[in-house]
Amino acid sequence: MAVLDPTPSGAQHILLPFLYSQSQTSLTRLYTRPSACLAIYRLLSPLERQIIMSLLWLESSVPASVFASWVHPNKVAKQQYDTAISSLTRLHIIPSTPGTLAKLLLHPTFKASFRTALTGGGTHQSFGVPADKGEKRSVNVEFLDSYAVERWETILHYMVSSGTGQSPVRPSQGVLYLLQRSGLMSAFGGGSVLRITSAGFQFLLHPPHSQLWDLLLQYLHMAEERRMDLVGVLSFLFMLSTMELGQDYSTENLDQTQNAMLEDLRDYGLVWQRKTSSRRFHPTRLATTLTSSLPPLPSSTTTSGTDHVASQGFIILETNYRMYAYTNNPLQIAVLNLFTTLKSRFPNLIVGALTRDSVRKALSNGITAEQIVSYLTTHAHPQMRKNVPLLPVTVQDQIRLWEREKNRVQADEGFLYTGFASQIDYEYVLNYARQLDVVVWENAESRCFFGRADGHESIKGYVTRLRADANGGGGQGA
Amino acid sequence: METTVSDSPPEHLSLIIDLSPTQWHLSSLDTNPQPLSLRLFISQVLVFLNAHLASRHDNTIAVLVALPGKNVMIYSSSDTIEESDHQSPLDESNTYQPFRAMNSAVVQRIDEELGAQEHGETEAPIGLVGALTKALCHINRLTHPTASANPSIAVPTPPNPRILIFSVSPDLSTAYIPLMNSIFSAQKLKVAIDVCKLYGEDTVFLQQAAHLTGGLYVNPERRDALLQYLAMCFLPSTAIRRVLGMPTQDHVDFRAACFCHKNIIDIGYICSVCLSIFCSPVPVCSTCRTKFPIKTLQRLMLNRPSPLSNGHQRTASPAPQR
Repeated sequence: MAVLDPTPSGAQHILLPFLYSQSQTSLTRLYTRPSACLAIYRLLSPLERQIIMSLLWLESSVPASVFASWVHPNKVAKQQYDTAISSLTRLHIIPSTPGTLAKLLLHPTFKASFRTALTGGGTHQSFGVPADKGEKRSVNVEFLDSYAVERWETILHYMVSSGTGQSPVRPSQGVLYLLQRSGLMSAFGGGSVLRITSAGFQFLLHPPHSQLWDLLLQYLHMAEERRMDLVGVLSFLFMLSTMELGQDYSTENLDQTQNAMLEDLRDYGLVWQRKTSSRRFHPTRLATTLTSSLPPLPSSTTTSGTDHVASQGFIILETNYRMYAYTNNPLQIAVLNLFTTLKSRFPNLIVGALTRDSVRKALSNGITAEQIVSYLTTHAHPQMRKNVPLLPVTVQDQIRLWEREKNRVQADEGFLYTGFASQIDYEYVLNYARQLDVVVWENAESRCFFGRADGHESIKGYVTRLRADANGGGGQGA
Repeated sequence: METTVSDSPPEHLSLIIDLSPTQWHLSSLDTNPQPLSLRLFISQVLVFLNAHLASRHDNTIAVLVALPGKNVMIYSSSDTIEESDHQSPLDESNTYQPFRAMNSAVVQRIDEELGAQEHGETEAPIGLVGALTKALCHINRLTHPTASANPSIAVPTPPNPRILIFSVSPDLSTAYIPLMNSIFSAQKLKVAIDVCKLYGEDTVFLQQAAHLTGGLYVNPERRDALLQYLAMCFLPSTAIRRVLGMPTQDHVDFRAACFCHKNIIDIGYICSVCLSIFCSPVPVCSTCRTKFPIKTLQRLMLNRPSPLSNGHQRTASPAPQR
């Protein structure tokens, strides 16, 4: 899922490609909101951020050559700089100027809004209007956290237990539609029963932050189709990400799109409202950490809330493939069950083992070995963190070997061409097949080769034409 | 996996502001080519701090002020700030909440500290080194979090620390030894010390501090464009400085201060045992009590380039000349 950035500084944020694809007019409209500028700024790479900061307080433009001379004259730095500039140009933060006389300056709207964001003030209200302090019944952070966890885990638990015969709580219709639309689940057997897909299995092993963004990105695509105002949707998300946890905000200043979004985001657990008609809403931790690296879920344990250990990691994996997971969370147990054989269960602990069968079951569901290893790494118990490397090498290697084992035999559908009358005929046809790039296997001694099915029609036509010229030969078998 | 924000550690910036009332008064006089008042300076620094916090959610700051004879830490990101004055909801919606809280706290505390200053005849020496030492202690605590009693709570990644000093006062040669000790601690902690010299002559010791710790020393030519200097030179983290070129010091003054009179000297005499520096040959090292042979002493006395006025003093006790 990750779109790799060519720079070595790390991967690019998943939202940026989506922003690249937006038109200049919609981005300009987005940049009128200081909160959106701040949120986008945070999604950028460190070098891109520095370039913006260096240009932010300049009134006139800087020739690109002057700016480029600021970069260290080595190849890596140069490449990083070029990537950063092109990324900013694609976001229209730096308007592209053609030719050699290129000048760098920030988009005037972006510059004005971002300056406002840093200096404060103005009348844009883009950081959310807090509701009046009048009402006494305030909601504490713990409640919001447990609400967010409950909503989010309902979604994940529904996914993981689909098709296992259990019947967990169903998320709302909007969520189900989104899951189906994003290809994480698909309707099975023509009915309304949803089954998890292989993309869905992979999704479950992602860290919560990217799960959240995966879903929101799908939501954005869906918003496009539903002809919602995309700029309104994006700026609302960015506004949520700059809000204060535990503070309640008024809905009065929201437009129609954003009011419609509140309903959807409530289903995902990003915002909480007392009643659907309530005139105020509380963003949860899922929303306020959208553009930060803080964990979006406070504690992944059950909502009893006394035990905060599990969010830090709970899995101990031994060299003998045994796994001890200190959790009582049904979701985590269900996810572990995807690739382990669970042996026994205690109030706060489950014991299992990674076996060939259990890992192969996961692999056949579309989960990769890398994903299993990365899941075990991110959720490793703090005591495991003392180990170097973190996971036992034997187990890591074995998981990868099991994956390779699965790939030992590769199936290609196609046809075997045999019975060529002469070596010349054979070579004619073989050369033709090579040009089509469909040859899988060839043997000159027995004058036969195997071509993939997609080239069959062309080869057949070619052989017929050859036959018309001379008395060649060709036979097929599957 | 694809979160850009989590792959490098967050940045911590400790800011040390020299708040010498005399120097700031001189700096704001209209006789200067570009007068810079404290108020104008503080507003630009606040924007700079906002920019630092804007880059990442988990970037942290600490602000220390050096006052005559004392130093105070006036703000730290780990503090919880009690909301002092509630603005109307409409005002709050126009500013990012963390910025507003930090800015109002910093301004309020600076006002308090300056208001509490006694108006004496002479100003006590500025407590810059004390502030630097405090900043280093704070950084040490951040980068080496104490092992908590519960081993199952994972420690967050320690931040990448930096110190930035805004200096307006001239060198204080009495502070040479503690400053040098701070520089060595900073080197050990791998903390870069950046120095921005806002007013007055270059300070020798702070130049050395920046040079030895791999930081920047900038004496802005145009003080009216201070914010641009801050954004281009002092905002980039050490990782970014490997990609973008930074102003370097053409010339670093490496002169040291002698241990006996705290004078900045060109040629000194070093104790062969403990490396203490003296402005004139001494028979006994005041630091480690090593006795030097009388012949060496005589030879050195003969070869001295030009005897200093205070060369005849050989007392071991430090006698500040300032």
